[in-house]
Amino acid sequence: MKVGLEVHQQLATTKLFCSCPSELSETVTGTFLRRLRPTTGENQNLDPAVAFEASRALAFRYEGTPDNCLVEIDEEPPHSLNAEALDVALTLSFLLEATPVAEVVVMRKMVVDGSNTSGFQRTALIAVDGHLDVGGRRFSIPAICLEEDAARKIASSSGEVVYRLDRLGIPLIEIATGPDIANGEEARAVAEEIGALLRATGKVRRGIGSIREDLNVSTEGGRRIEMKGVQDLRKIAEYVTREDGRQRVLLLAQEELRRRGASAPVGPAVDLREAVESVPSGPLAEGLRKGGVVLGLALPGFHGLLASPEGSDERLGREFADQVRALGLKGLLHSDELPGYGVDADAVARIRSTLHAGPTDAFVVVTDRTAERARQALEGVRQRAGQALEGIPPETRDPLPDGRSRYSRPLPGRDRMYPETDIAPIPITAERLRWVASSLPERPAALRARLSREYGLGEQVVTQIVAGGLVETFETLAKRGHLPPIVARLLTQDLPDAVAKSPPPEPVFSVEALDAVLRATAEGRFAKEGIPSVLLALANGAPDIDTALARGNLATMHRSELDALATRIAISNAEMIRTRGEAAFSPLMGDLMREVRGRIDGKEVAAAMRRAMERLEP
Amino acid sequence: MGQEVEITSAGGQVWRGTLVPSHEMSGERIVQLKLASGYNVGIRVDVADRVVVVTPSEAPDGLAAAEAVVPRTQPRETPTDGVPWIALLTTGGTIASRIDYRTGGVRPVRQESELLAFYPGLEREGPVRIRSVFDRLSEEIGPADWVVLAEDVGRAFEDGARGVVISHGTDTLAHTAAALSFAVENPPGPVVLVGAQRSPDRPSSDGASNLAAATRLARDPRLGEVVVVMHAGLDDTSFAIHRGSRVRKMHASRRDAFESRNAPPVGHIDESGVHLTAEARAPTGEELRIDTRIVEDAPLLWFYPGLTPERAEVFVGNARGVILAGTGLGHVSSHHLSWIRRAVDRGVFVGMTSQCLEGSADPYVYATGRELRRAGVVYLGDLLPETAHAKMLFGLGRTNSSAELAGFLLEDRAGEFVPRHFPERAR
Repeated sequence: MKVGLEVHQQLATTKLFCSCPSELSETVTGTFLRRLRPTTGENQNLDPAVAFEASRALAFRYEGTPDNCLVEIDEEPPHSLNAEALDVALTLSFLLEATPVAEVVVMRKMVVDGSNTSGFQRTALIAVDGHLDVGGRRFSIPAICLEEDAARKIASSSGEVVYRLDRLGIPLIEIATGPDIANGEEARAVAEEIGALLRATGKVRRGIGSIREDLNVSTEGGRRIEMKGVQDLRKIAEYVTREDGRQRVLLLAQEELRRRGASAPVGPAVDLREAVESVPSGPLAEGLRKGGVVLGLALPGFHGLLASPEGSDERLGREFADQVRALGLKGLLHSDELPGYGVDADAVARIRSTLHAGPTDAFVVVTDRTAERARQALEGVRQRAGQALEGIPPETRDPLPDGRSRYSRPLPGRDRMYPETDIAPIPITAERLRWVASSLPERPAALRARLSREYGLGEQVVTQIVAGGLVETFETLAKRGHLPPIVARLLTQDLPDAVAKSPPPEPVFSVEALDAVLRATAEGRFAKEGIPSVLLALANGAPDIDTALARGNLATMHRSELDALATRIAISNAEMIRTRGEAAFSPLMGDLMREVRGRIDGKEVAAAMRRAMERLEP
Repeated sequence: MGQEVEITSAGGQVWRGTLVPSHEMSGERIVQLKLASGYNVGIRVDVADRVVVVTPSEAPDGLAAAEAVVPRTQPRETPTDGVPWIALLTTGGTIASRIDYRTGGVRPVRQESELLAFYPGLEREGPVRIRSVFDRLSEEIGPADWVVLAEDVGRAFEDGARGVVISHGTDTLAHTAAALSFAVENPPGPVVLVGAQRSPDRPSSDGASNLAAATRLARDPRLGEVVVVMHAGLDDTSFAIHRGSRVRKMHASRRDAFESRNAPPVGHIDESGVHLTAEARAPTGEELRIDTRIVEDAPLLWFYPGLTPERAEVFVGNARGVILAGTGLGHVSSHHLSWIRRAVDRGVFVGMTSQCLEGSADPYVYATGRELRRAGVVYLGDLLPETAHAKMLFGLGRTNSSAELAGFLLEDRAGEFVPRHFPERAR
């Protein structure tokens, strides 16, 4: 199996071709409706992915936000390429030891799914042939690109897709690896290292969706597929494993089809109304009742190959279903799952006879409101069945939350790229390269080594600090005299916990706010165990630390108060202490901690509990 | 161009790709390669670098051959026996341009087939006879071209067209629309000028939807005047119908750049059809007249603070007329009174419009206006400066008398004057 990664990271600069801020917004100021038409590239060929999207003939509604200008809505030519973003891309080129181009040529990558108001995504190749060492292995980095992010999809119905313009134009650095990655675990490690490199620049956006991965996967004997927009790094391994499983099943089906001497189906789609008219219930009956059509297609030689083979969850039938879903249909029925869904054996026989399908043949049935779309859907199935004879079709797939992926469109080729003529080529001068080279951030590996050396931190926590882009904050706080382990814990555990528990929008803590929290605990105003509660109270709107302490009932306890509490617990558990002796300490300590956690140091609590027990014992 | 090459730099970096024409604004010693990924990159080629041609050019697929692959077909004769048809006169401009990948600019298409390739749905509602009149960007279109266009419009109607669409670059589209409003009298159907703010090689081009709206309107028998059809707003589904003599391009790049001034558009087009207001002019039923008598050279002078009388007088030169775009209600500095008096005494027509573009020029409110009027300046009400200019050129073609010219300019000929200005500013 071969795996390649494309990491897309949003930059925290202004947008790539205008000076709008790179911020998402929940405020919509107005909407407008557009349509896109496919056009040919500079060599007059229409790209298959573009043709596919155009075949859906959708209308696009765009939601404007207070921060959008005319550039995002395609009412003004792009301004010049954001110089700061280009410098970040060049910085990455140095960190990955890649060779920058002499002149950056901004290209238009045609995308007519509406995600770009212009109908293309602007993208430029910045550097080639770099490499990255992870876990003792070297991975090639064939390309580093700078491109604009697409609009954010908000909703979609059968004829219209709604996009918000806030995300459109945010600079993205795309780092592609070669097909050198052996498995999912390695893919994850490489993605994390690339993420750490990106964050080392200090110029990247944070939070959900700010870094996205595309996976390129091909198995032995298979073909390359592209999985678009994997947001959760922890899922990479699962996606790769599932894709491997899918490709294996497809290859098995191909082998069997060849053995049977099956040929590509020729169609056409056949009207099955008469054959299924008597079907009492299920999707077909429903479709007819609503005035729709029922069409079928015979797949010669496919009998038994549409269902999952023994020991696998993958199946060819799902590939066909994905084709019709991509056109907006709910799904299809295939002969390997029939009788069922209200279709009895008699109806199956009638369908077979209408389609002239023999016992070694399979068939699929769809229902839809319009004959045209149903016919288009079956044409997709017919083509996909033809591809089954060739093995694995090259395609773009959408990752699903359960670790599987779904067909979204054909793999785009070079025909969709043509130059963005509104922007002159940008020379990468020797001066610029010297300037970028002189201000490179520390590489993650060197950084990790230095942090563990200087601050005596363990490997795991150092990795978390570097991967999380927390180095600057960590060092600032540590240099202000706070104990490194406490700062590390604050940044890698307490803070993410508090953020996770807070209602949206995500709270932001300044270095000063964190410094104040650490200072308060160092001054003994509350115990370090109370840090998470204080952070949470601050996140929930407490204006200062005193308020946070009061809300969390966290102000440090007086020793006498603690002793009184411990004594009360000891007395009410006197029987237990008498019978169990020393063994009673732990549960009683637990009770006391529940009362005082965060307000006083754990060691003090233990001592108080012990004193109370001793006083009670005869 | 078009060969696949491999360039090995002295540093050992290997670049392999197809040679494409370098951008006009590329640096020295930079060659542009299209890599297998589809990306173009600029590579610096030094003396020490090794360049190997891997495969020779494979025309016509190569990029340099892009021009050659444009299908060259014979002019098409649309069968129109008994079927209502409209004429499409193309003049170039963005709506009929394609990208030039070398210069980075756009160039006009020269072929009907190219236009049909851009707009495959053009004849959805009926036959369209396409005639390429010019292939120029609109800044290259002037008064002599207005004459050619007016004659072509006349010919199309004489041949039986129900309406005429003129595709035109947007920069001077409003000027041409104003000119045709005066040269084409009593049009028996709509004369619709249309353009695009985005070139048709972009998926988001407004050309196709504008052209579809324009051809739809051109088939409407209720309209008999020169109009401009362009996007009404940001939506691709709504189009404004502007009177040709009252329209102006008011934005450099927006789709809805065109606005009617002083009064709302005379109609709009949306998915439900063509909607005309009571202001829209129906065909008069009188005989179509094409009057192309014109004097091509007479100036439009935009007053600005600091404009010296000497420069203004030199600019006007020996022209028989000048339209002034004055400030506010129609003013120029009183220093200009002397040359204006001299010009009027020589028989030169001096017309005044307002550079505010909305509201009327009025000589009576301020002393300067009154003095200008006394000096012989003719105040032209709410005529747009460009409309007044086009109208003056045709007027100069019709008469030598400055008084008759004033009469021609002040007479409403195509709905160019708006008698009542309402508080709502619908554009």
